[in-house]
Amino acid sequence: MTNYFNTLSLREQLAQLGKCEFMDATEFEDGVDYLRGKKLVVIGCGAQGLNQGLNLRDSGLDVSYTLRASAIEEQRQSWKNATENGFTVGTYEALIPTADVVLNLTPDKQHTAVVNEVVPLMKQNSCLAYSHGFNIVEEGMKVREDITVIMVAPKCPGTEVREEYKRGFGVPTLIAVHEDNDPRGEGLAIAKAYAAGTGGHKAGVLMSSFIAEVKSDLMGEQTILCGMLQTGSLLCFDKMVEKGLSAGYAAKLIQYGWETVTEALKHGGVTNMMDRLSNPAKIKAFELADEMKDIMRPLYQKHMDDIMSGAFSEGMMADWAKDDEKLLGWRQETAETGFETTDVTDQDIPEQEYFDHGTLMVAMVKAGVELAYETMTAAGIKDESAYYESLHETPLIANTIARKKLFDMNSTISDTAEYGCYLYNNACLPLLADFMKDIDVDVIGRGLGLNDLGVDNQRLIEVNAVVRSHSVEQIGATLRGYMSAMKRIV
Amino acid sequence: MNPNEPAQSNNSSVKPDIIFDACTIQFNEQFKLNRVSWRIASDDCWVIVGGNGAGKSALAATFLGEGEHLSGSIHNAPPIESVQAVSFEVQSKLIDQERLEDDSRILDVIDEGSTAAEILQRGDCDTTLLPALVERFGLQALLDRSFSKLSTGETRKLLLVRALASHPELLILDEPFDGLDVDTTAALATELAQRATSQAMLLVLNRWDEIPEFVTHIAYMSEGELQHTVATNNTKQVAELKKLLHLKTTDLAIPGPLVDVNHSHSKKLNPDDPLVQLKQAHIRYGEKTIFEHVDWRIDPGEHWQLYGPNGSGKTCLLNLITGDHPQCYNNDILVFGYQRGQGESIWDIKQHIGYVSTALQWEYRVSISLLNVIVSGFYDSIGIYQKPSSSEKAVARQWLAVLGMESRANEPFNKLSFGDQRMLLIARAMVKHPALLILDEPCLGLDDMNRSQVLAMIEMVCAGTETTVLYVNHHAQDKIAGIHRSLDLGNLQR
Repeated sequence: MTNYFNTLSLREQLAQLGKCEFMDATEFEDGVDYLRGKKLVVIGCGAQGLNQGLNLRDSGLDVSYTLRASAIEEQRQSWKNATENGFTVGTYEALIPTADVVLNLTPDKQHTAVVNEVVPLMKQNSCLAYSHGFNIVEEGMKVREDITVIMVAPKCPGTEVREEYKRGFGVPTLIAVHEDNDPRGEGLAIAKAYAAGTGGHKAGVLMSSFIAEVKSDLMGEQTILCGMLQTGSLLCFDKMVEKGLSAGYAAKLIQYGWETVTEALKHGGVTNMMDRLSNPAKIKAFELADEMKDIMRPLYQKHMDDIMSGAFSEGMMADWAKDDEKLLGWRQETAETGFETTDVTDQDIPEQEYFDHGTLMVAMVKAGVELAYETMTAAGIKDESAYYESLHETPLIANTIARKKLFDMNSTISDTAEYGCYLYNNACLPLLADFMKDIDVDVIGRGLGLNDLGVDNQRLIEVNAVVRSHSVEQIGATLRGYMSAMKRIV
Repeated sequence: MNPNEPAQSNNSSVKPDIIFDACTIQFNEQFKLNRVSWRIASDDCWVIVGGNGAGKSALAATFLGEGEHLSGSIHNAPPIESVQAVSFEVQSKLIDQERLEDDSRILDVIDEGSTAAEILQRGDCDTTLLPALVERFGLQALLDRSFSKLSTGETRKLLLVRALASHPELLILDEPFDGLDVDTTAALATELAQRATSQAMLLVLNRWDEIPEFVTHIAYMSEGELQHTVATNNTKQVAELKKLLHLKTTDLAIPGPLVDVNHSHSKKLNPDDPLVQLKQAHIRYGEKTIFEHVDWRIDPGEHWQLYGPNGSGKTCLLNLITGDHPQCYNNDILVFGYQRGQGESIWDIKQHIGYVSTALQWEYRVSISLLNVIVSGFYDSIGIYQKPSSSEKAVARQWLAVLGMESRANEPFNKLSFGDQRMLLIARAMVKHPALLILDEPCLGLDDMNRSQVLAMIEMVCAGTETTVLYVNHHAQDKIAGIHRSLDLGNLQR
């Protein structure tokens, strides 16, 4: 198989990358009707598989699960997940031939093997759905011509997909139809009904392409989302300990700090996150972020270039072929870092203190979000996609660190994210080493400690103007507006 | 005793506390005070509050020796003859007595009966104080009039003056402001405030805003029981009690269902069909069976109580009905005319159900106003995700009024007390007048006062709507009137 993206002409590549359109709510008025009475069979019963299936069934659709015969015989976790939730479970041979839509919700790594196994069993004119386009775009999977291939990608972890549905809402979702596999022109109708079944239509659906989804998703997850948070965690922790702060406090400030500062990001973008700082701290964070952006820009560009050329996936697939040799080594190194191994203090940290003592963390989030967004849009990805894959997802990833530090983040996001995150981290740590030499506890751990919070008016106006006029803030305000128009709870 | 001396008032601080020790006192066939335990220190000034028929006046009347003591004991109560009471009962008794003594119907003479002055003189009054009080309450012009010709308000004034002037050891004022005009009300309030430190008083009041500032303690009666006692300096508890009293005493009806064409998509239920029918229901996790062989049919209008020990699967069973338990799809469940697993959505099911539980309260962690929490009941959502209609908002406002929270419509839900949140969630559950209201341990985690509020609210719902109630509770004392059927998951006889 060859990289699908690389087989396209530049014109086609740009057209696909630039595909991104916010769909009007009226497009979903028919709800799940297009899939009503059809048989949906889900492959894989992990977080996405199980939770999407629960939502689809609660929306009135016929959902069952298919697992490898060995998983059923050994009653593995995936089998338990499906049966305890009252689903019919059967082998590929038993269920795939009955399916009108097969939902491939296995990890990316398994896609090639799974798809090669199930497609021959699929009935004529059925549909194969993905939640991530890696297999099609990066691995160049060719699916039988009579089969419709679509993607429905909720932009949240599986548990969130379920929780929001139960509240009566949903999570923002990206849908796409693989144009090479839409023989009856029904791909969009199926994808819309599928998105409605997961509740995604209530939170906003973005019509995109497999290519735009894969390239932007990979870029976001390995740079700002997982990579920057991991690198930032390690650097900030080591700095605080080096400067004599208690390790327990340092661990807590970081573990819950990302979640706290990015909660401000979620509600009101970089602007609001920066506004939570005192004026002197805001100016300081602005300057630190600018400095880091200059240092890290080549790294972000390299990640984007490697993703576009296919070099990244090639390297990762080579590691898959070696049973994750590199990945497992890096995972072990991460597990042994000071931040991961230190227990957090019981000491209560008030919400505002996370900002006041975490100026550097705010600066890192700002730098990472803006760089990832700028690099993606410069590569032809639309503002909307770039926003979702950078700023929008940062708080979600930060939540996973609050749960169980880096281990949880890396093990729950995705196999591609984890590999990319380590790549980024390994390059970024040395890159920021000199910068960190000049960092002291005033910006991480202890706060500026100023009695006088006065600032120069002109400088503050200048800083505010630059923060607010960034393109990620403009598109963010629009997209959050769509969200809150529907979600009047914020 | 020389009536000129301000009797007893100065050495009152050494008097022992009056103690009611689990007193059960029968008043008539229908009513008794039940196991009342109460302690009144000599410096206390108490007011008794509660709904109609709660036993407020009966409790006060025990000081007049009324009622038959069945069990328990009262210690250090003042002698009956040294207690003066002003109440509707005392007033009507006096009027009846005057009528009995009216000989005109028998003797063919004009008998004017006692004059107001004579009635006053019969009291053991302080002769220096009496004229001052007569003037203050504007009774001079009435003194020579026949008592039986006085208006209700005038007799009430007369009784008040007589009681005040007699320096009783305990002065009981049962709804003293009832029937008084504005000026007299003000005069009485002033008079009482001046005497608060020298005269032992016990008030019975219906209206919260009549409670004078000098009152130190509030006793809350309900169904013959002294349910709560609160010191007025405990502002938090006083606020809770005020809300409870509001529910019990304000004449508010449950707001009606929304008559709105936009909501007519909701499926009409056949009144002859069961609301819920479970056949051989079961929940299993791997090898572990939570319960099995549960057959249960709930017909419209049949209220049920569900109980069973911890872990017997009460919430699981409820969630089979609501659709929140995933195993509802491999059970034989008919709800609101839907056989589960035939293409219906959970929103089709939920529109017929109102649901309240502690778990829901924990899950309801979104930034939202009080008004919108109630509105969200129309959509069965946690938070609001579509624009509510003005009629939905109007009904939600009526519910806020029932809770006494109409002025707080825009306050954030998450800043409310735990008990207030629970009340609001009950209103949310009821706002659409669901066919089935499921209350999963609605009093869990609530203190006594909030528990009383919740139960009062549920009784309003049971009495005032066509909603069928399904109630889960551990506490035997949290019974709800009108629920007669029960299912015990700990003891399945099937």
